[in-house]
Amino acid sequence: MALVDEMATVLSNQNVGPRLYIMVLRCPQIAEQVMPGQFVHVQLTGFENHILRRPISVFDVNREEGTITLVYQVVGVGTEWMTTVAEGAHLDLIGAIGQGWTVPEAGQRVLIVGGGVGSAPLFILSKMARQAGAQVDIILAAATKDALVTLPYYTEAHGGEPVCATDDGTYGYAGFATEPAKKLLAETTYDRVYVCGPEPLMHIIANLAAEAHVPCELSMEKRMACGVGACLSCIVETVDGRKRSCVDGPVFPAEKVVW
Amino acid sequence: MVNTQVNLGGLIMRNPVTVASGTFAAGHEYADFVDLSRMGAVTTKGVSLNGWAGNESPRIAETPSGMLNSIGLQNPGVKHLIEGDIAWLATQDVPCIVNVSGHSVDEYHAVVEALEECPNVHAYEINISCPNVDAGGMTFGCVPEKAAEVVRACRNVTKRPMIVKLTPNVTDITEIAKVAEAEGADAISLINTLLGMAIDAKRRKPVLARVVGGLSGPAVKPVALRCVWQVHNAVKVPLLGMGGVTTGIDAIEFMLAGATAVAVGTANFMNPHATMDVVDGIIAYCEEQGVSDVNELIGALDC
Repeated sequence: MALVDEMATVLSNQNVGPRLYIMVLRCPQIAEQVMPGQFVHVQLTGFENHILRRPISVFDVNREEGTITLVYQVVGVGTEWMTTVAEGAHLDLIGAIGQGWTVPEAGQRVLIVGGGVGSAPLFILSKMARQAGAQVDIILAAATKDALVTLPYYTEAHGGEPVCATDDGTYGYAGFATEPAKKLLAETTYDRVYVCGPEPLMHIIANLAAEAHVPCELSMEKRMACGVGACLSCIVETVDGRKRSCVDGPVFPAEKVVW
Repeated sequence: MVNTQVNLGGLIMRNPVTVASGTFAAGHEYADFVDLSRMGAVTTKGVSLNGWAGNESPRIAETPSGMLNSIGLQNPGVKHLIEGDIAWLATQDVPCIVNVSGHSVDEYHAVVEALEECPNVHAYEINISCPNVDAGGMTFGCVPEKAAEVVRACRNVTKRPMIVKLTPNVTDITEIAKVAEAEGADAISLINTLLGMAIDAKRRKPVLARVVGGLSGPAVKPVALRCVWQVHNAVKVPLLGMGGVTTGIDAIEFMLAGATAVAVGTANFMNPHATMDVVDGIIAYCEEQGVSDVNELIGALDC
């Protein structure tokens, strides 16, 4: 699919948790083509002394309405500036970029593990997996209950609440996502595990999946400049050499990643 | 109609716009955004003899109106480039400038020799100015004797247009420019990135894994213009100017300072069709100013 550079209109941009925001954008060309696990490269239109775009994964899509939804966390000046973007403003996006998740087939059973804002790029996958007739188990983890901002979306889409974990024990399992993941992997035979979140979490989940002999996919986030595969900034070390997280990833088979 | 054709040391370009090596790969990655047949030339990512793995990550940092990079010339080697990117580029209607890197004089020589076998290469850009490698690169571009040796070695194996790319990280850039000209360079490109660094105060650590990196983007444009102007006044060969070129007006400024052609670099990351915008902007300026031939602009600075 050809990449497009599209001027999107911001429909809403709301604070939904600690340093966490949900932004809905109208961008029909990108909405039409986006696949689960892909991202958009957001120009800070109007803040261009910060010259680099920010890669933000796509949380949800509405193809009929031509909209996409992003969940983003404020981590630096770029995402801080994004919080000031008003409804009706325009943001230049390149998309939809990257190799996404492998969508499961009917009859398969898969485990999805999202840590923090890492739950965002797994949401479309979870819905498509369900649609395809796969059985989907979901673990969502965050530092606190307030930060489980994607939980209501997952609950609604799947007709039931995912397994939750919070670092401080304010909701669900007290601790990291690794413990409930260990338990589910011991009890259930999965066809694939998907994980996105902090690298230490992904590393542990990848190891657990490997021990259970279940294929695992994960999504790597690296500092990125061009976002189209030209600049070689966002490299990921793999068993096949250095790969670009933007276009060779961001989703990689876990067994390919060299930690 | 404005005549936009320029002659960069024997390389005929349909317009003065190419790309800065390393910001555009060989164009394939930008083909969804850019009509390559509307570019003056494509300059490929630096290539060495057998390929280099490049530096550790993080390799980039955003800085005010610019960025630092320390990619370290990661490349698959010249054979791979010829069979892959150059073969693809040959199917496009655009001249190909290959950026050549080496750790030693012999390596530069060997890379050019290998490329001489390939009919789809139209010019070379000899990179003696990369700040992100420990051997070769800028270490050659800062020392007149070493620069002379590299340029001579490459000149000995090719009659194709040969551009030599200079670093601004020297006391007097005209000194190296004169050496390159004397050793047979057909054109000079400038500037490569400025050596810089960024620090994460909270962690008390450098942002880049390699600590230092090359600064590029709009932040360096004034330095680049100054270098182009100085070198234009010091040598007779044509210049390929670069450093923060983002708009057609930026390109015009470089031409007025003495550049025959310009390269769009970091702006590709900001705006994937920056090259097209620069081409359009040059033509718009000429039409508005009643300039019938872009060549009239070269060195036409009134000072």
